[in-house]
Amino acid sequence: MIDLSMIEWGDIALATWETLVMTGVSLFFTVLIGLPLGILLFVTSQGQLLEQRALYRVLSFVANVLRSVPFLILLIVMIPVTVILIGTSLGVEGAIPPLVVATSPFFARLVENVLREVDRGVIEACQAMGIRTHRIIFGALLPEALPGLLAATTVTAITLISYAAMSGVIGGGGLGDLAIRFGYQRFQTEVMVITVALLVVLVQLIQYAGDRLVLHFSRK
Amino acid sequence: MIRIEGLGKTYLVKGREVSALDGVDLEIAKGEIFGIIGRSGAGKSTLLRSLNLLERPSSGRVLIDGEDITGFDRQRLHALRQRIGMIFQHFNLLNAKTVAANIDWPLRCTSNLTAAQRTERVAELLALVGLSEHAGKYPAQLSGGQKQRVGIARALASRPQLLLCDEATSALDPETTQSILRLLLDINRRLGLTIVLITHEMQVIRTLCDRVAVIDGGRIVESGKVADVFLHPRHPVTRSMVAQDDPLTAAMLDPTHAFAQDKLRGTLVRLTYVGDITYQPVLSDIMAASAVRFTILQGEVSSIKDLPFGQLLLELEGSDEDVRRVFAELDRHHIHHEVLQ
Ligand SMILES: Nc1ncnc2c1ncn2[C@@H]1O[C@H](COP(=O)(O)OP(=O)(O)OP(=O)(O)O)[C@@H](O)[C@H]1O
Ligand SMILES: [Mg+2]
Repeated sequence: MIDLSMIEWGDIALATWETLVMTGVSLFFTVLIGLPLGILLFVTSQGQLLEQRALYRVLSFVANVLRSVPFLILLIVMIPVTVILIGTSLGVEGAIPPLVVATSPFFARLVENVLREVDRGVIEACQAMGIRTHRIIFGALLPEALPGLLAATTVTAITLISYAAMSGVIGGGGLGDLAIRFGYQRFQTEVMVITVALLVVLVQLIQYAGDRLVLHFSRK
Repeated sequence: MIRIEGLGKTYLVKGREVSALDGVDLEIAKGEIFGIIGRSGAGKSTLLRSLNLLERPSSGRVLIDGEDITGFDRQRLHALRQRIGMIFQHFNLLNAKTVAANIDWPLRCTSNLTAAQRTERVAELLALVGLSEHAGKYPAQLSGGQKQRVGIARALASRPQLLLCDEATSALDPETTQSILRLLLDINRRLGLTIVLITHEMQVIRTLCDRVAVIDGGRIVESGKVADVFLHPRHPVTRSMVAQDDPLTAAMLDPTHAFAQDKLRGTLVRLTYVGDITYQPVLSDIMAASAVRFTILQGEVSSIKDLPFGQLLLELEGSDEDVRRVFAELDRHHIHHEVLQ
């Protein structure tokens, strides 16, 4: 039987809030860094608006390197950098830099792929009208790709939820931290079950909201 | 208005050079509708897209209003493209924008009109293409023909002098095609717009074009007034293209396949004539004054664009001397004759 009497609901509420903050703030910075990076990856690739093979290769290489480092390793490797950046590597704040570093290249690749799906003919029509490249990118390419970009953001948000939970291993705060401290180290299975249940609910909510947004902006 | 000189284009495919255009010379006059036909892969799109440098030629020159555009820098290229409209087989509309916003888009990006002036211009264009009630819809909510109308309105937004059409009706059914062709003809006449189009539908050339060029293997193999080229195709590619959707002409161009040889006794001739003579009893007069008897084996009286024409396949029976005299009379009345056997 699961005994719920010994559970500190206050702790769980706080941990949930922390998870949401970690995910939200990390998502904000991930989009801030990953979106321009993804756009740059796309437009500098072969046959695109601002083809720059050398630049593309460098960006692509960096993105691949960051993506091939397992997140757990990245968490540890990033500790000194995080300390320099925000003074601590612990708690909610401490988890954010490694989260952003881990998901930005991931999101950039998703953005690149979404942009690749935009009909070439549409971009070509804009070029044939004598429209400047930056206006094509911001006025045509990105709006055309909006549903895909929202879907990519949803996927990234969900990835962030699970990464944020993992950062509990190095004392990152949030639901993951709670699960490890009580559920794993003190054998309180109930806490483990509840955190997992909450994570499932969070992921479902994000996916639902994301799907609704994508649908709203699809002009199909 | 357009002069193409020695235009060549080679693509590098897996380290090998593939020639798409090979020494194309062409002249297109202001206000005319010029068609380009050719088999798939002949180089039609490459040629058309060289006119606004969507495709960079490898050699040769493209002069528009006397200026060689191949040397234009980015600034001048943008300005040039703003004076050239283009429509596409698959419409290429912005799906995330409404019909009105699609038409407004080039104005917003390239003109210095105020918002109010742009709104007025968009309304004017919507009325021109007959889509005023659909201003707020998204492209996905329109039929193919309506999408192409939006494409046309968008292409005309910045008042171009030249319109390029890349298979503009190929994705449409015959009836919708006709309505789009009527619209293009109307625009050509009202705005004095020069139109260059490529198509694989001969009917488009017959209804719309003043002149036509046939391209094969990256070279122009035949060109001239549509009636001349279509009634007297010389190059094998032209002959097969003209015949493809027109069994009557096909049979006339090659009657040996169409008629049982053993039933024919006299001379087989094909007569063609264009213009007012189509409505005059010239043939009747000539034959009445001659001892030659004739049988009509096949015939057509129709028009290419506004030009009436007729073509008849006749079997003539009579002495060689009489037949020669009939031929002389036909010549005198500008009826073209061609002895087939
Ligand atoms: N980007 C490209 N790279 C390599 N080869 C190309 C490219 N574009 C066209 N070609 C080649 O150039 C030739 C002419 O192509 P083009 O598209 O002009 O033909 P087309 O007459 O328009 O044919 P279709 O009727 O099928 O559209 C073809 O052999 C084609 O394979
Ligand atoms: Mg083509």
